[in-house]
Amino acid sequence: MKNIILKQFKIILLTAVFIFVTDCGKRDRNPDVLRFAMSADIRGFDPAFATDIRTGKMMTLVYDNLVQFGDNTEVIPGIAYKWNLDETGKIYTFYLEPSAAFHEGSKVTAGDVIFSFQRVLSPEIGSPQSWLFNKIDGAEAYMKGAETFVRGLTKINDSTLVITLNEPFAPFIQYLAMPSASIVNAKHEDSIKEIPAGSGPWILDNWQRDAAISFRKNDNYWGRKPKTEQLSFRILSESLSRMGEFEAGNLDIVDIPDIELTRWKNQKHWDGSVVGKDELNIWYIGMNCSRPPFNDRRLRLAMSLAIDREKILSILLSESGTLAEGPVPPQLMQSLQNDPIPFDPEEAMRLLKSSGYEHGIQTELWVAGGSEMFHVLEAFQYYWSAVGISVTIMRSDWNVFKTAVREGKPDLYYLDWFADYPDGENFLYPLFHSKESMTKRNRYSNPAVDRNIETIQRLRNGKERNDLIKETHRLIKDDAPWVFLWHGRTHTAVHPWIEGYKPKLIFNAERYLEMHHMPL
Amino acid sequence: MIQFALKRIWQSIPVILGVIIITFVLMYIIPGDPVISMVGERFDESRIEELRNELHLNEPLWKQFLVYMGNVIQGDFGRSFITDRPVMEDLLDKLPNTAMLAAAAMFFAVLIGVGIGIISSLRPNTILDRGIMIFALAGISTPVFWLGLMLALFFGVYLQWLPPTGFGGLEYLILPAITLGLRSAAYLARITRASMLDVLNKDYIRTARSKRLPEWKVVLKHALPNAFIPVITVIGTDFGSYLSGAVLTESIFGWPGIGRFALDAILKRDFPVIQGTVLFMAIVFICANLVVDILYGVIDPRIRAERSNHAN
Repeated sequence: MKNIILKQFKIILLTAVFIFVTDCGKRDRNPDVLRFAMSADIRGFDPAFATDIRTGKMMTLVYDNLVQFGDNTEVIPGIAYKWNLDETGKIYTFYLEPSAAFHEGSKVTAGDVIFSFQRVLSPEIGSPQSWLFNKIDGAEAYMKGAETFVRGLTKINDSTLVITLNEPFAPFIQYLAMPSASIVNAKHEDSIKEIPAGSGPWILDNWQRDAAISFRKNDNYWGRKPKTEQLSFRILSESLSRMGEFEAGNLDIVDIPDIELTRWKNQKHWDGSVVGKDELNIWYIGMNCSRPPFNDRRLRLAMSLAIDREKILSILLSESGTLAEGPVPPQLMQSLQNDPIPFDPEEAMRLLKSSGYEHGIQTELWVAGGSEMFHVLEAFQYYWSAVGISVTIMRSDWNVFKTAVREGKPDLYYLDWFADYPDGENFLYPLFHSKESMTKRNRYSNPAVDRNIETIQRLRNGKERNDLIKETHRLIKDDAPWVFLWHGRTHTAVHPWIEGYKPKLIFNAERYLEMHHMPL
Repeated sequence: MIQFALKRIWQSIPVILGVIIITFVLMYIIPGDPVISMVGERFDESRIEELRNELHLNEPLWKQFLVYMGNVIQGDFGRSFITDRPVMEDLLDKLPNTAMLAAAAMFFAVLIGVGIGIISSLRPNTILDRGIMIFALAGISTPVFWLGLMLALFFGVYLQWLPPTGFGGLEYLILPAITLGLRSAAYLARITRASMLDVLNKDYIRTARSKRLPEWKVVLKHALPNAFIPVITVIGTDFGSYLSGAVLTESIFGWPGIGRFALDAILKRDFPVIQGTVLFMAIVFICANLVVDILYGVIDPRIRAERSNHAN
């Protein structure tokens, strides 16, 4: 009798375990929730500290800006439904949307905008993003504590704001669309690191650190409302884990790592699910121009000529990009014919000889340890060794790498640059103006380039400015301070049940307003 | 017993102090700059220096150390350079997650490892025994990273029996617990088998059998407790290391535990978090070892007696 009971108990237990286990993985898709994954957690919800892309993306969901980015390069109205710039190019007048309100219901006013911008400049806050507003008249004095308010920020009335710059500065209007220029509710500033105090289309629902962040639709949003009810972002540091979750149907959209791209493109099952997305970026090899051997332009050019970038892009990177001619991506320069430096190893050897390095050189290429592009770097090594340039690859973690680059230690380093805002100037000033390059990057300096960049910053958008961007781009290409590799194209896998997904050119243009599940 | 525990706690103070000093010095020796992780790409160079001053990074090492020690004694591990959150708060947030994973992994390891170890010892040199030992060898040799991905792929993606990754209810715990616990299970199987084989040949087991006691009673009541000392050692050290975070398992399965927290802090040179985490890990490890030492005495009266003699 005892044995029979024991046997039956075992059978029931095993059946229960089996049902539990086989049932666990089957979770019904909730059509009201869009599900995404991120590789790491965000820093918090304080816009003043939104220095990375992930944090910036989240700011865009819960906050509003005076203006915002459209699907491409255009600046479109945000809280400001219209604005104008005076003839001097220094005074902006913004007219605020009267129905705009924070999540807790109070109106967004010109005073809130001034509070938010002063907050980023405030020495007490110590925001690393103060550069966004330091062109505003009186900003420097305020940052030094000499004045208690910023002179150039003037409230005309609750819905009209005037911003005066101390000199004409064309990218300023784009700065205002960046995450750190988000408008903050002063009443809830104290808890802003943990709970966003914004007026955006989404409200924070739950933030489980290092695990997940979820948002619910702001039903009282003053602008266009989202078409779905909730957003869920899971934090999965491993790209293979993210891909697994997508394949299991637990994520709606996922970015495909380059090493996985060929598999995804070749699988019939995923036909139509892989969407290519142009992004404003550039991958490059920086060469230290301030000391031998790379202070010689001929040698720098030889570095570019020696590599068959087209072949590497096609074979190793599954065509996930377009060859770079120079620093500025083609989307930001109207009607510029892309004419990249060709693969010409003989010319590279001739240049080596003429620069006195006929017996070759030995040098180091620094790379951040997390890079998934090691196979690409080995291909560079191969091509360079064929013309007599022996390169050792130095891997270090991101922090050591960035510190070394800032200090100007590496002769060569492999890095990328992603746009903060969609303007050619963003690929010129921070990377090639001597003030920036000589202190943070590869120590490149060309007075003609500096002058051009400063003029580009002053000129209003138009043909003259665009022509000058092209000219500066060509000057830099001729100087060859970098090996210009490619402008990357990311690929995203989207499940067929998702409607309304449209790739955006800049990361913080995505607010998930149109995307939704197809009806079940 | 209490005297013994107090003595061990007293002895662990220099160890903790050593851990703090070594971590502190190491962080200043390794290259890299915490400010770089905080400022983004466009930060003004002059402000970097200001920030370094604000964080007291330009002060002499001894001064920074004394301030830190003063705070630690008061239970203040400082605030993260990156998130500005109190380190202790974050550690306490993540400890239950890590403890849950560690307990589940250890439960799996003991259940499987000790179970098959006993079975193996009762059928030595048979096909079953050899099969179990091959499994144990494979378990010890399998890299955690590979195993985790394969389990997620097979049970999560293809069969869809369990969620491939994530954090939540019991179903999320199964795959990470197996991934983390398999190596211990394999090791426990080998240790249990060897230890049991040794004990099963002792005279008192022969006596028990000659008295016609049921075999399960001989194994579980007379043999296993005597074979358990080396097993407890493995359980204690492995459990201590699980509690101090399982970086790979937590990364693969998106588990918000102490291991991932520590790794992220190291990559960003978030000094207060690194210091806090290492110190926390050291304390956890010392506590786990203390528990093991106490358990020795509980399981084996001879050890208890020996300790009393030493104390007298």
